[in-house]
Amino acid sequence: MYEFELTTQQQLLKEAIHSLGQSVIRPQSLGWDRAKDIDQGFLRNFYTMSSALRGSDNPLEDFNEGPKVRDPKRISNTNRTAAVGAEEMAWADAAIMLSLPGPGLGAPPIRNSGTPEQKERYFSIFRDMSEQLRWGAYGLTEPGAGSDVAGIRTSCVRDGTHWVLNGRKCFITNGGRASWVVIFATVDPSLGRAGHRAFVVERGTPGFSVGKIEDKMGLCANETAELVLEDCRVPADALLGGESAYQSKEGFMTAMKTFDNTRPLVAAMACGIGRAAYEYATEFVKEHYLLGRPLPRYAAIAERLARMARRLEGARLSVWKAVSMADHGVPNAREASASKALAGQVATQVCIDAIEICGAHGTLREDHALLEKWFRDIKVYDIFEGTGQVQRIVVSRRLMEGLERF
Amino acid sequence: MISFQPTEDQTLIIDTVAQLVGARVAPGVRAREAARGVEPELLAAATELALDGAGYGAASGGQGLGLLTALMIEEELAASDASVAFSLPGFMPFTVFLDTLLSEEPRAQRMPELLRGERLGALAWSEPKPCAERPGMVTTAVTAASGYRLTGEKCFVGNVERAEELLVLAQLQPEAGWAGLGAFTVPQQAPGVRLLGRHATVGLDAACFGAVRLDDVAVGPEALLGQGAALTARLAEAFARYSLHVAARQVGLTRGAFELMKGYAEVRKAFGKPIAQFQSIAFTIADRFIELESARELVRRAAWAWDVGKPAAQCLQWSAQAIATAHELGMRAAEDCVQLHGGAGFIRDVVAEKLMRDAKQLALCGYTAAQADQLAAGLGLGLALDPATSLPTPDTQAVFT
Ligand SMILES: Cc1cc2nc3c(=O)[nH]c(=O)nc-3n(C[C@H](O)[C@H](O)[C@H](O)COP(=O)(O)OP(=O)(O)OC[C@H]3O[C@@H](n4cnc5c(N)ncnc54)[C@H](O)[C@@H]3O)c2cc1C
Repeated sequence: MYEFELTTQQQLLKEAIHSLGQSVIRPQSLGWDRAKDIDQGFLRNFYTMSSALRGSDNPLEDFNEGPKVRDPKRISNTNRTAAVGAEEMAWADAAIMLSLPGPGLGAPPIRNSGTPEQKERYFSIFRDMSEQLRWGAYGLTEPGAGSDVAGIRTSCVRDGTHWVLNGRKCFITNGGRASWVVIFATVDPSLGRAGHRAFVVERGTPGFSVGKIEDKMGLCANETAELVLEDCRVPADALLGGESAYQSKEGFMTAMKTFDNTRPLVAAMACGIGRAAYEYATEFVKEHYLLGRPLPRYAAIAERLARMARRLEGARLSVWKAVSMADHGVPNAREASASKALAGQVATQVCIDAIEICGAHGTLREDHALLEKWFRDIKVYDIFEGTGQVQRIVVSRRLMEGLERF
Repeated sequence: MISFQPTEDQTLIIDTVAQLVGARVAPGVRAREAARGVEPELLAAATELALDGAGYGAASGGQGLGLLTALMIEEELAASDASVAFSLPGFMPFTVFLDTLLSEEPRAQRMPELLRGERLGALAWSEPKPCAERPGMVTTAVTAASGYRLTGEKCFVGNVERAEELLVLAQLQPEAGWAGLGAFTVPQQAPGVRLLGRHATVGLDAACFGAVRLDDVAVGPEALLGQGAALTARLAEAFARYSLHVAARQVGLTRGAFELMKGYAEVRKAFGKPIAQFQSIAFTIADRFIELESARELVRRAAWAWDVGKPAAQCLQWSAQAIATAHELGMRAAEDCVQLHGGAGFIRDVVAEKLMRDAKQLALCGYTAAQADQLAAGLGLGLALDPATSLPTPDTQAVFT
């Protein structure tokens, strides 16, 4: 059945985030961007508030309440709710969304492949963060391998009851502050994906250190770190899923499953930023295109606004479709990548156009002039979690059989 | 006969500029951005070579090499750092505008000192808010016994901190709407002129844009450089010429972005081969090259048209087409430059992200693409120049530097 209405719960969640975004987050957004950090007090309050809001469809439930037995007849709303929430949070400030305490991108591989003991061990630390905020992270990218996930070179060698890891990871979201990081390594690069293993490496493990904290174009309030593994010894039970999970291509699939779940959410965030920029430009036009603005000039602007709006709407629908398929348990790799490819590009163009409409005013880094920040934030949405090109590879491979490997 | 061959002089000049760029411009790109200004030694070196005076006529104290040569120089500079040209006197809008607005005698009197950099000026066109009462500018000029009195606020005024003189556009005849503007020169030191400070902007950090307030500033009758319908036509020409300078910088930036992304794609490996080996990447690079060439030649043809004295309508139309194209394609190239760098493109260690910010800022430093299209459309339809659609909109889309 077709349905485009949000549930009451989703609507309430959206409204709650919207009003928080409007009155609390946005006024501080630029300050956090400049300080390259988000006030911990805010994050703590936000965490407490979101815990109170938590309902049965909340995506956080899996690690807060432990694994649940789902009723197979009851279709979950989790991914759709998450997409609605992610868009609204990003509308307020995308850097916050990425900085929220919790396992972050590290959650899906543990949820998908972790043993019950691992889930308990790594998720339990997030149950009570009233005293201390904690983060998890996902360490796949390396200086020499990003899109080409199979090309990672971080090595893992079994040594008795331990594994020894060596290598470098780069651009890791919350990597410096994380209590643990899911690190992808290889037993033998020549084996390609079959050689991959995923480990959960805890902060403080000897040989595991944080390298450079990156200075970025946008999303400055969110931490992006380099991680260094030098003869880093981790116990055998840090191997995600245990030995048996790697009899097949499972190691690599662990990495990829993460993306099927998260790509539409990243796309939803892109829509949120794009929508913020679009609304900003619309308000600007209403305020500035007053008396005496001749019709042709107004018409050109209006047309551009209309184009921005319809493209955003289309992108959002592709996100909703992908998450809806996930909620229904239907394979969605193609749609997940399609939504990310579309939203990343559309939202970037919307931000570019929004500045164009506001003109030089849109480039100001002053007061609450957030447009220039959104312009700086948005571009990475066409890059991380698989670049636009990589999404197109995924889509095309699922459209046409027998394509050669790109 | 149609030819795309630079003259020997032009080749020589461009070689000289390329050397300067290699030695002084390229190494300081990030430092310049952090310092939010162009280093004096670089300005001195450029002045010594008289780069920014090359395009002006001998009567103005220039070398008479024409706009086309000037734009070649700017492209060369901007291929490394688009912010540098903004700080060179001959490339500033004040200088370009005065050269266009002044008649022969005052031009010969005033231009040489401007080109020597002995006296800098700034164009005060943009305003923070639209006028809610009537079409036209918020800043007003009222006739007084001894001349005029100017009141209002101007923003996005380039080099406002260094300028000794302002070229202020103000509403002289309120009832005439956009056709009722007047252009005035105002010394920065004049009583009532107050600097409001410098803007922080998304790109071109080394160029300087700021705001200035005028409170009942008195100027003599000689300060008025033009008004009404006659001014509209002159202003359109001045805006078009200046915006062509900016478009040439955008072409330079596009070239910089193109070279950077191409170089990276040739060495960055994924899936066992340089990413340039992937057709989608190779096509992207090819597309950006094709666009770069077309933007550059549009810009050069427009400059050539002004240089050889084609009819104004033709020059304006070709300029408008060049300006819109350069900005559209520049933004795309800069974005692709980030994209082809993957995650590294988003990190400040690589200059790609700066190119993307600068490209956006550049696109707003004169006629925007949309405004240029409207100007061209009007000319294409044979309509009379309507100041409301043939000039940039002061309260929305203009940085003047
Ligand atoms: C702010 C930020 C946060 C990040 N967070 C994380 C994180 O938490 N964890 C993590 O593991 N990683 C993270 N990343 C890394 C990110 O996922 C990678 O940067 C991204 O996957 C691209 O990889 P790359 O940078 O190595 O680019 P490359 O793979 O080198 O790509 C360079 C260019 O080549 C193109 N390309 C590559 N292969 C092909 C092909 N076959 N066909 C066509 N084009 C191709 C790409 O699309 C791109 O345009 C983050 C990055 C950023 C910027």
